[in-house]
Amino acid sequence: MNIQPGIVILWIFFGVLPIVGFLLGLRAPAMRRQVPLVLAFLAGIIPILSIYIPKVFLADPDIGMSPRLDKYLIIVAGFALPLGIVNVIQNSSRRAARREKGWPYSVVLLFGLFVTGALGIYGAVTGEGIGFRQDGTSTPFKWIEDNAFRPLQATIFALLAVFMASAAFRAFRARNTEATILLIAGVLVMMGRVPLLEFLTAPFPGLQPAAAQGSRTLGLLTEWIMNVPNSAAQAGIIIGAALGAAAMAIRVILGIERSYLGLEKGE
Amino acid sequence: MARGSPTFLDRLLHVDRRLIFLFVALSVTVPILVPLGLPVSTTAPTQAAYDYIESLRPGDYVWLSFDYGPSSAPENDPMAEGFMRHCLSKDLKVIVCALYPLGGLGLANNSMARVAAEFPNKQYGVDYINLGYKDGAEAVMRTLGANIADAFPTDVNGRNLSEFPMFGATPSKREDGMVVGHTLGIKSIKEVKVVFTAATGLIGEYWITLVNSQFGTPVIIGPTAVSAPKYYAFLSSGQLKGMLGGMKGAAEYEQLLIKNRPDLAELYGATKLFTATKGMDAQTGIHLVIILFILIGNVAFFLFRMREAKEGGR
Repeated sequence: MNIQPGIVILWIFFGVLPIVGFLLGLRAPAMRRQVPLVLAFLAGIIPILSIYIPKVFLADPDIGMSPRLDKYLIIVAGFALPLGIVNVIQNSSRRAARREKGWPYSVVLLFGLFVTGALGIYGAVTGEGIGFRQDGTSTPFKWIEDNAFRPLQATIFALLAVFMASAAFRAFRARNTEATILLIAGVLVMMGRVPLLEFLTAPFPGLQPAAAQGSRTLGLLTEWIMNVPNSAAQAGIIIGAALGAAAMAIRVILGIERSYLGLEKGE
Repeated sequence: MARGSPTFLDRLLHVDRRLIFLFVALSVTVPILVPLGLPVSTTAPTQAAYDYIESLRPGDYVWLSFDYGPSSAPENDPMAEGFMRHCLSKDLKVIVCALYPLGGLGLANNSMARVAAEFPNKQYGVDYINLGYKDGAEAVMRTLGANIADAFPTDVNGRNLSEFPMFGATPSKREDGMVVGHTLGIKSIKEVKVVFTAATGLIGEYWITLVNSQFGTPVIIGPTAVSAPKYYAFLSSGQLKGMLGGMKGAAEYEQLLIKNRPDLAELYGATKLFTATKGMDAQTGIHLVIILFILIGNVAFFLFRMREAKEGGR
């Protein structure tokens, strides 16, 4: 068996250390804080090192520590789902038990969760899956998805158009200079994204060429708004957010930011 | 505000929202029931996306990620399916996955079944494949850069990836049946010619910042209309090869396919598909209603301010 040193190190840190830390933590509570901080430091520093020092044991796609950590991350991300399910069950069952306002909705949510989940597990256990069967028919899980989940999601999103129209009427008013600029840009973009002039002049064929030319001009204006002022503002926001995320990542790696452990600074 | 019975201006300022809802309903349903066939012009980001796919050679691998849920399916479905049709029509090899947890896999299954039925000469595992859903989008993308099989060891039906010619070593046979060598399948997403992500939320951005920036794989995005403005910054920086912005972008892509690819023109013309081009009629109607109500609101607002100024001056 070909033992790779990088992977052995990872197993020691991410397999043995948490268990040892947990066992020691039963006697010395400080270990419960120190071990997660060490793991966070390693998980943060290894991918960074693999970029700047692309040595085989760090960056190799098959045996490198950083790609191996990415695989572990998929497993860890998978555990977020059961955590979410437990949270939904706890909150909804508590609300239903206490008969809080809107509790029947919680009962419906739990019913949907258990029925859909059970059908998904049934598909996994029997091997027929959660999509189409071999003969092209839908599995029960897929039937629920197509006939309940999809229409409900689509309905909620479709209501957005209705409320947007109502909100635009009330909020989109030229109260000051900034609001006026926003209003003009918004209306121009709305006009430029659809063939509005052709739509309005449809009963008058003679006006169609002029309408088409007008639509082209509006389209170019819309693209300019999107490409120049919008793009500049978006780039600023994206760069700012990225710098903020990088700063936060450094704080986590160095153990300054500990709120993810439920700890305050200095604890 | 009004004293005594409400005046016309007061009524204008406080239009009953049910009236707005009625206009919205009419503006959407009428164009769907009676299609208007309005023209669709092409914008530069969509043209760039189309041209890039056209520049690829038969046999090139492309990746299609379903990163949206049923809520935005009317916008995203036509762009994902248009992309898949374009690629299969050009004999490109399509790898499909879903990274959006709320129904992305179901949408991928439906779209793939629909489009595959339109191309009976194409073979699953040879010309296209569905890898299914995987949780943890960022981790999945980074793993794809090392080895696709590490992120997706099996396809959506649980079959090992190495069983498929697209991923495994395939004996190349001559017509007389003699094995003359082996064709190696794809291993990493770095070998893919383009990733197309039909996206809502943040997953589309991850493809750009992780896969394009770190592995150099070109990315084309199909975002919903509300998130399209954000991606113009990535287009300007060259991190995106093209973009299909919302239903408008999807309709533009469909029109390019109809105009330039006769096989697909026949398909789009003959079938009863829900297409973005049809959806644009309804979108035009709703934009008109919103603009009209904004105008009414502003006229009423200015008249109200003028009346207040006049009353204050007395």
